[in-house]
Amino acid sequence: MRTEQEYLINYKDGNLYCELADIWIDPSKPVKKALITHAHFDHFTFGCEEYISTKETAILLKERVGDNIKIKTFEYGEEFKINGINISFHPSGHILGSSQIRFVFAEEKWLISGDFKLQKDQTCKEYELVKTDYLISECTFGLPIFKWDNSKKIANDISKWITNTPEKTSLLFCYSLGKAQRLLNEISQTNFKGNIYSHGSIYKMNNIYRGLGIDIKDTIKIENKKKIDELKGSLILLPPSLSKGSYLKNFKNIQTAFASGWMSIRALRKRSGYDKGFAISDHADWDGILELVKKSEAKNVFFHHGDSEALTKYLVEKESINVLFFGK
Amino acid sequence: MSLKKFSELFVDLDSSNSTNNKIEVLKNYFLSNDPIDNSWAIYLLTGKSNKRFISGRYLKNLFSQIYEYPLWLIDTCYLKVGDSAEVITLLLKNKSTSRKKELSNISLNQLLSKTMPDLLKLNEEEKNLQIKNIWERLPQDYHLIFNKILTGTFRVGVSIGLITKSISKLINIDEEIISHRLMGNFKPSIDSYEFLINKNINREELNSKPFPFLLANTIEDKIFKNSINDFQFEWKYDGIRMQLIKRSGNVSLWTRGQELVNESFPELVEKMSHLKDDFVLDGELLVWNFKEQIAFDFSLLQKRINRKSPTRSIQIKYPIIFIAYDLLEINGRDIREIKLEDRRIELEKYFSKWQNKTENNISDIFKICDLIFPKDWPDALTYKEKSRENNTEGLIIKKKTSVYSSGRKKGIWWKYKVDPMQLDAVLIYAKGGSGRRAGLYTDYSFALWKDEELIKFASAYSGLTNIEIKELDKWIRKNTIEKFGPVRSLKPEMVFEISFEKIQISKRHKSGIAVRFPRITKWRKDKKINDADSLENAYELMKKIS
Repeated sequence: MRTEQEYLINYKDGNLYCELADIWIDPSKPVKKALITHAHFDHFTFGCEEYISTKETAILLKERVGDNIKIKTFEYGEEFKINGINISFHPSGHILGSSQIRFVFAEEKWLISGDFKLQKDQTCKEYELVKTDYLISECTFGLPIFKWDNSKKIANDISKWITNTPEKTSLLFCYSLGKAQRLLNEISQTNFKGNIYSHGSIYKMNNIYRGLGIDIKDTIKIENKKKIDELKGSLILLPPSLSKGSYLKNFKNIQTAFASGWMSIRALRKRSGYDKGFAISDHADWDGILELVKKSEAKNVFFHHGDSEALTKYLVEKESINVLFFGK
Repeated sequence: MSLKKFSELFVDLDSSNSTNNKIEVLKNYFLSNDPIDNSWAIYLLTGKSNKRFISGRYLKNLFSQIYEYPLWLIDTCYLKVGDSAEVITLLLKNKSTSRKKELSNISLNQLLSKTMPDLLKLNEEEKNLQIKNIWERLPQDYHLIFNKILTGTFRVGVSIGLITKSISKLINIDEEIISHRLMGNFKPSIDSYEFLINKNINREELNSKPFPFLLANTIEDKIFKNSINDFQFEWKYDGIRMQLIKRSGNVSLWTRGQELVNESFPELVEKMSHLKDDFVLDGELLVWNFKEQIAFDFSLLQKRINRKSPTRSIQIKYPIIFIAYDLLEINGRDIREIKLEDRRIELEKYFSKWQNKTENNISDIFKICDLIFPKDWPDALTYKEKSRENNTEGLIIKKKTSVYSSGRKKGIWWKYKVDPMQLDAVLIYAKGGSGRRAGLYTDYSFALWKDEELIKFASAYSGLTNIEIKELDKWIRKNTIEKFGPVRSLKPEMVFEISFEKIQISKRHKSGIAVRFPRITKWRKDKKINDADSLENAYELMKKIS
């Protein structure tokens, strides 16, 4: 076995880095060259000299960082070369534009899963199975207690939650990029036919999605509401940052919910302070992670973004897969 | 009419933070279900019995064994979830089988009156197989309910008060009546539910039941603005609050925890049954020092509480007395609606009548509480400070005009404790001691209520006698829910009085408060966990002191 200095991709200052190409993946500090898997805030930073991503991610990134950044885009599957390394983006099924990144050098294949999910999601490209020798995978939900229900079921639960209490205004908190659009898409296929409002930050993302050809139901910008009474019986999508503090005073007779994978645990649901939790996630559940690991045929696996202890022990004991650790 | 409805009820109650909402949800549930299922639902929700069929540990082992699932992985998951029944429910999601869900129409009644009791008749192997069978044939949505009933951990944010309110709304009858009907033993049956929702109020039906107790609140500053003459002052005894009832000649003795304790105090029952009158008395049971006319320490009373049919020598060694505070019913006449001062006159009148019977001298086991007459509020304070001398905890202050309603009604009765730095808390964790106490569980953590959840607020090591430590250790070993390393989480059942020196806000603690030098001052075997204090009580205490 090689020492970690010899790995093609390594951990440096808490970020994934490929020394041979002098390129960073989703860096949390400004660097020269950054590969971006997707446009969530915890996966990029301001001030990099050059960004490289898929076309969709680039559009979302520009919305968030500004138009003046230098960004190079590639199609899914399109290979490009840096210092003799072949690099390509592949759909990861997380949000619009999200990707896994493959590195091939001297016949050795590396795959960075990025944030991914296997569940169906009509607002982004489905996860693509990519074979690899080395896999670097996220494991946000790396315990078997996480087992996602079908998103249709969750959408129906949300629909029932709203329609069962027509006298209330239902506030559903969710991440403004990705989760909100997926929920909108799913909820528009349920029995709930009332008005849907979006917070400005979500509204903006809806428009970008629509511009890129994704079917997103029209919503009303909550900032444009006229009377508070018109909100009765309707659904309002808000970013989680507004759930605490005085913002809620803008509404009356509300019920609140949070859409997140963590909501599958009762204690977390109770502690969250929301009335209700809907366990829907854009990350893979336990089975999803195991499936990625097995189907990718990786002989060596690294985990990051999550607590990997149980997952590691399980893979080593039960599946005899070699799980490696980056030096910290 | 299936378990499905109850599962939905559970989810609805669990996902609501609003009391009104919960009442509405309960009301609708009662409206749309069979009386028998309703009575089981009440039984479960009020925690009238949380019988444990198997332990959480057993449940996890069983799952591990059936599905060849590593136990360490289940334990790791447990750390995240904190409830065995829920962990197994979540893990069962992966084990969905193609088998038909034959149990999808099972009713709550079938489950609780047939399926569960049947489990107890099986040997271990059959029992395990049967649980697996139920898991596979029961729709996934009901697994949590089933697992929680199995492990006796069914708790949801519903108090007896909420049930009372929702039934009261349902049939449009005063809450007091419903709460009275819910007193005592509630046996799930069609009859018990129909009795509960009966629109005709028939006094006789309630004959076997005590009245809901009226409780005192912690003293508030605003009381001092009132004239001292508006109040009746009593010593706050440190015994067990009880109702002594004699109806149609039968005597029954009920604790505040709604337990019938006739068998523990036969001499009292015997003596009172010779009286000619029928009555309901509210009072306190104590072990009494007749020579000095003061109460013995609470620890002596503990020698009597759990002992059924005590021998004559025990009765002599630990002589009891019932001190009556209040007369609630006399010869079938409910007088709770008349003023306290008038009830007191009645109480004194009947007491002197009973006392003067030479053939049945009750004075060696029964008296009415002495009243105190402070001149003004500072004088009341002096009395309070003196209360330790006669082994009382302070004063009880009652508005002379108060009627006897139920619960912790605000603004009519107050307790003015000599040492206010005390809270009754529930034991939730225990850790092995070291040194002299090695091998025994001697480090304890205690919790207070926050809504329907128990939140840890203090740890204490000292205060119990060696005998009590041994007794508690034995109990701990039998009532462990989980073990993590040296720590055991325990079935919430035991209530202790915790005393401390200082109480302040603390951001570091989940409870939001920190106390200084916490110690155990009493093992409150007479209290149920629902009698324990809440974090709110702790905050009030803090406010009062600062």
